[in-house]
Amino acid sequence: MTKNSWRRRLYTVATFAKLNTRRYFRDRTAIFFTVAFPLIFLFIFGGLFGKGGSVSFKVAILDQSHSAFSTDFVRQLSTNKAFKIDTGVATMDQANNDMNHGSLDATIVLPSGFGDVQARASHPSGQAMVYYTQNNAEAAQTLTSVLQAIFGDINTKLVKTETPFTVASKRTGVAGLTQFDYTFSGLVGFSILGLGIFGPVNTFPEMKKQGVLRRFHTTPIRVWQFFTANVISQALIGLVTMVVMFGVAIAVFHLKVVGSYPELAVFIIFSIAMIFGIGLAAGGWAQNERQAAPLVNIITFPMMFLSGTFFPRFLMPQWLQHITNYLPLTPVVDGVRQIATEGKGLLELGPQLGIMAIWLVIIYAIAFRVFRWE
Amino acid sequence: MATTEKIMISVQDLRKSYSGKAAVDGISFTVKKGEIFGILGPNGAGKTTTLEMLEALRPIDAGAATIDGVDVASNPYTIRSMIGVQPQTPAFQDKTKLSELIELFAAAYGERVNVKQFLDDVHLGEKANAYVEQLSGGQKQRFSIAAALVHNPKVFFLDEPTTGLDPQARRNLWDLVREVRDRGITVVLTTHYMDEAEVLCDRVAIMDQGKIIALDPPHTLIKQLLGRGFKKQQKVEQANLEDVFIDLTGKELVK
Repeated sequence: MTKNSWRRRLYTVATFAKLNTRRYFRDRTAIFFTVAFPLIFLFIFGGLFGKGGSVSFKVAILDQSHSAFSTDFVRQLSTNKAFKIDTGVATMDQANNDMNHGSLDATIVLPSGFGDVQARASHPSGQAMVYYTQNNAEAAQTLTSVLQAIFGDINTKLVKTETPFTVASKRTGVAGLTQFDYTFSGLVGFSILGLGIFGPVNTFPEMKKQGVLRRFHTTPIRVWQFFTANVISQALIGLVTMVVMFGVAIAVFHLKVVGSYPELAVFIIFSIAMIFGIGLAAGGWAQNERQAAPLVNIITFPMMFLSGTFFPRFLMPQWLQHITNYLPLTPVVDGVRQIATEGKGLLELGPQLGIMAIWLVIIYAIAFRVFRWE
Repeated sequence: MATTEKIMISVQDLRKSYSGKAAVDGISFTVKKGEIFGILGPNGAGKTTTLEMLEALRPIDAGAATIDGVDVASNPYTIRSMIGVQPQTPAFQDKTKLSELIELFAAAYGERVNVKQFLDDVHLGEKANAYVEQLSGGQKQRFSIAAALVHNPKVFFLDEPTTGLDPQARRNLWDLVREVRDRGITVVLTTHYMDEAEVLCDRVAIMDQGKIIALDPPHTLIKQLLGRGFKKQQKVEQANLEDVFIDLTGKELVK
């Protein structure tokens, strides 16, 4: 093969990629599905999980004492970020009812006499009670220790004691994973899936029906040239989508991207190329939309629900986690999260990249075998 | 006629069968350079299969075909770069401008063209930024043929190019095909319209059930028939209903 003929072949690829991409951005429906659709999901899921990520209990406070100290104490609690105080609850019956429903995590009761200065004492005292249901033992435990810490502060101010041992906590550099971080990497995976599979599965059978692909078949263009051009334009389109998604996530949902953007971009392009191969295979094989639709559902549904796109995989039973580890989309979702929010580098993602590389080979081997121009 | 004696296409004992049934059953013919060659026959005669084998789109079961001396079966990509193909229903991808489609088709052949010059040559220069769906019927035909010839092929194949077209569009297409031939490009087309073959083709091969049952210029075939003592039942009128239709509606398409 001479150098010149290779240059010509790559010119073919570049021109097809360029015109493909341009054509894509003229298609409003396609833009909606690739840019707006993931954003809608982002707002829905971001709204559900995106409350800054700090744990927040819903508690009721029943102040049965009404002493100066207790009123002050309630005010102090309401500024605490660990709780969300439900001020609508006024009686114990109501609190029990809400706790049974699950709309309330625990109830703090300040019994009458709480905060009064007892006879022969120089300072106020009392015991706060935390009530909880069996389902909320964890919440109650956390709440109790938070209260203990608050009381500890108050106690040391009231009674001068020596404290030989103390503990201090300090935040480390790496931000812990919030619920939104999990959700976001899942949504990135979901958009890559949608972008890579639903696109070609709709357009290829359509282009076959119109005879557009048959027309290319009468030219000397090779399947690999056609595939490569499509992968390139898909990667460009995908990057635009990702820039929009990350932009919105950072601006609106305070996503903190710890890792390096170039590594993230490389990883995402690799992911798009791999997942897009599934769409190429399915759309390239199908002669019409009726053949394509059921096939695509079979392929995408397991990944949509089991690869950690909408539901974190750590919630799954162990055996299911082992299996879903090897779905093509799982390393994508994990990798995006580890780079973006855990600050890992590509070199630390060996297992993920390995699984993806194996899938890449399998998927494209199938895609080349089953491709039909008409 | 621009016909020379140079052989452009040579087909020898070409065969193709689908699940045991012969679609093309050992046909042989040659096409000279600069000819318009027609393959005629009823539906299912094997016309399209023959064409697709010559276009290197369908594997050849047995026999041999060469185009300008190049063996079709063993050089499919070379063959595809030497030929232009007009599909039965010309379709172009949507949301792509004419200028971009020309760039795209040229690129499919690994070629770069001066798109503006190219469109000017086919009188579509002012439509460079238009989309195919904005063209008139005649412009669409012209554009489709121009796109198929963007790489200056030696042979131009058309599969039933006028099926489903109205009379004006058919005549317009005949004119376009003659222009292609005048550029020195050999034309091979299939049709099941005898009038089309008669006015357009230099020579025709009539196929039936996968075999060629006659091969000659149309007028030779007619003379042979008359020589066998054939007489038409009806008196031939000097015009037919199609002529009336064309006369009333105007011959020219909106170009």
